[in-house]
Amino acid sequence: MRAIVAIASTTVGEAIRRKVLLIILLIGLLFLSIAPGLGGLSPRQETTVLTSMMLGILQLTSAVIAIVLTVYLIPTEIERRTIYTILSKPVQRWQFLVGKYVGAILALGLMMLLMSGVLLLTYYLLQRDVSRLGEIAKAPLFYFVQMSLLAAVAVFFSTFVSPLVNFFLSGGLYFIGSMLNTIYDTFANSPTTNPAVKAVASVINVIVPNFANYNIQNPIINPGQQIQNPTAYALFTTAYGVFYILILLIGAILIFDKREV
Amino acid sequence: MKKRSVLLAALAALFLVQAGLHAFAIYPRWKRDYAPKTAGQSATGLDPAQFLFALVGFKEFIAGILWVRADSFFEQGNYDAVLPLIRLVTWLDPHQIDVYATGMWHIGYNFTDTEQRSDRRYIPVALAFGAEGARNNPNTYELFFETGWMWYHKIDDNYENAVRWWEEAMKRKDMPPARKNLLSPAYQRNGQIQEALNLYYKLYDEAVERAKKDNAFGNLQIRDTIERNIDTMLVRMVQRGWIAQQKGYYDQGQYDTKPPFDVGFSVRATVEEPAVIRFQGTWNVLPVGTRIRVVLKDKNMPNDQPAGMIWDQGSAVDLEVPVGLTFMQEQLFVRNRRFDKRVDMSNDRTMYPFKAENYVLEFYYNPRSAPPHIQDKFGYNGEGMTDKNFLNTEVRPGQRVVFARLELTRDQILRRGRWMDEVPFVQTSNYVAPNVRQEKSDVIIVPGILAN
Repeated sequence: MRAIVAIASTTVGEAIRRKVLLIILLIGLLFLSIAPGLGGLSPRQETTVLTSMMLGILQLTSAVIAIVLTVYLIPTEIERRTIYTILSKPVQRWQFLVGKYVGAILALGLMMLLMSGVLLLTYYLLQRDVSRLGEIAKAPLFYFVQMSLLAAVAVFFSTFVSPLVNFFLSGGLYFIGSMLNTIYDTFANSPTTNPAVKAVASVINVIVPNFANYNIQNPIINPGQQIQNPTAYALFTTAYGVFYILILLIGAILIFDKREV
Repeated sequence: MKKRSVLLAALAALFLVQAGLHAFAIYPRWKRDYAPKTAGQSATGLDPAQFLFALVGFKEFIAGILWVRADSFFEQGNYDAVLPLIRLVTWLDPHQIDVYATGMWHIGYNFTDTEQRSDRRYIPVALAFGAEGARNNPNTYELFFETGWMWYHKIDDNYENAVRWWEEAMKRKDMPPARKNLLSPAYQRNGQIQEALNLYYKLYDEAVERAKKDNAFGNLQIRDTIERNIDTMLVRMVQRGWIAQQKGYYDQGQYDTKPPFDVGFSVRATVEEPAVIRFQGTWNVLPVGTRIRVVLKDKNMPNDQPAGMIWDQGSAVDLEVPVGLTFMQEQLFVRNRRFDKRVDMSNDRTMYPFKAENYVLEFYYNPRSAPPHIQDKFGYNGEGMTDKNFLNTEVRPGQRVVFARLELTRDQILRRGRWMDEVPFVQTSNYVAPNVRQEKSDVIIVPGILAN
């Protein structure tokens, strides 16, 4: 456990020092700050557009950070040969992998926390409405689980593909996973869809990591929708995220164990 | 090796657990509570970049940009380009109430021919669009009101639908008081006179309370307007004999609606040029304000209804209207007891394709749609109106309307075959040519000229 904590804390330090991540973070913060100026695009719905825009920026920036942070996690260590130094100590490969992953999501969490703070502060300064802050703050929490899942996907791929391929592979899977529910819904509800295609869609729907489950911004952007038991939904989606992250990490460990470094 | 087997077994178990969790616990909840509430899930016509943005949470932002673009098309009068943008914006953000309201108005009103007649084939689409907007925004009165307005003002018939939508709008707390008043005339046009009066009383009580709390000019004005409306309505209910009808002594008294007045409707339709029809006829009512509806449409068209069509054709928004259908609706304005109107459809063959072999011309007058000064004679329900030849109580069950039907063929309308040289016309058997002066009363005597 101490090994995992040590590796994780080192990874957090490295992530914070990485200029590329800081630039992405700064761009995200900049966009969050200028987003209120775009609320006027819809004269009667400034709040709707503002909330949508800011949550969108937060989600997109977090996704880019999650991918960029994790695709280099293992390959850089191998390329720089620093992995030999680590693995020559009493550290097992799985501990190294888990430590790296935990460090990455901690760094990601810090960055998301900063962005969420700016988001909530901007919203408060513009709307002077404390009552909705709690509701809006739910979205970043869901996004954090979503990004942790995305980071796990990138860590899994980083054990056997190059960073560039991993970037597009993880990004593509995030893109598909984000619209999985909508696509599945379209197939499942269309009377013209072939039953075989429906069956394939159902299988894909439960195999591919489903990022769409965390896109809960609709009722936040458009208040007034009645949500039945949001706590149960939060628990189920968090459990789903944890299970899928475990699947990906176990898969990564199995591959990384066999890999020559 | 053992460790590897344990991990593989754990992997399989976790996989099954996540699949079950997603399929049975998460997805049904997501669909119910968190899925975007769009009417159609299809992304047809969506640019991939817009789609990507939409998926990662920028739906409302993109919708805003597109609406600004649509607005510039409006300014240029490029209505065709606006339609897909409206669809796209409402797909991305189904809570854009303004877009639904404007889009509905645009679809229902703005596709016109060169003589500014709107393309009524789009009205079912506009109604479906309004219904979709109301479904997606059930907490505000606006789209219920707008859909009701489409029935009340544009369709100007089948008033039960205007009443139905406005009653729904009234259930929403955000409906402004001034707009609530409109339900009363809708009740009157639907023959629900008692309901119309009751509503005025209810709104008056509310207006008095509002004015007591805040004597702002607007509140006082609304209160006074309702008060005047109640006064006028009570007088009209008496003079039109409505109260007597309810009490059962209508036969015994003299009311403005007695005896029923014969409007003496007659018409002749002459195809003067290909797709150009002149309507001439008589209407024995001197006061200005009568507009007789004329409809030219395919014989045996689907969703047919006398003097119109079944406007409410379902809740699915399909922007593709039946392009092969010809449907023209115009108002014949009566002056000095006659009407004479030339309808030119020759420049708009997209709107009037004339693909069918046979067509019907329908003439329709519903006293419920008449202005109040004419209703003072004809009554709320046409009890003060009759027509020796064309009084009809079947095309609108329970209502007294004037309805006549004539037929034309495509060859006649397009002046083909034997009709190239011969001028086709159809007329009612009682038609009297306008140049044959029947009575002295047809001559308008202007005192100034007479003095000279």
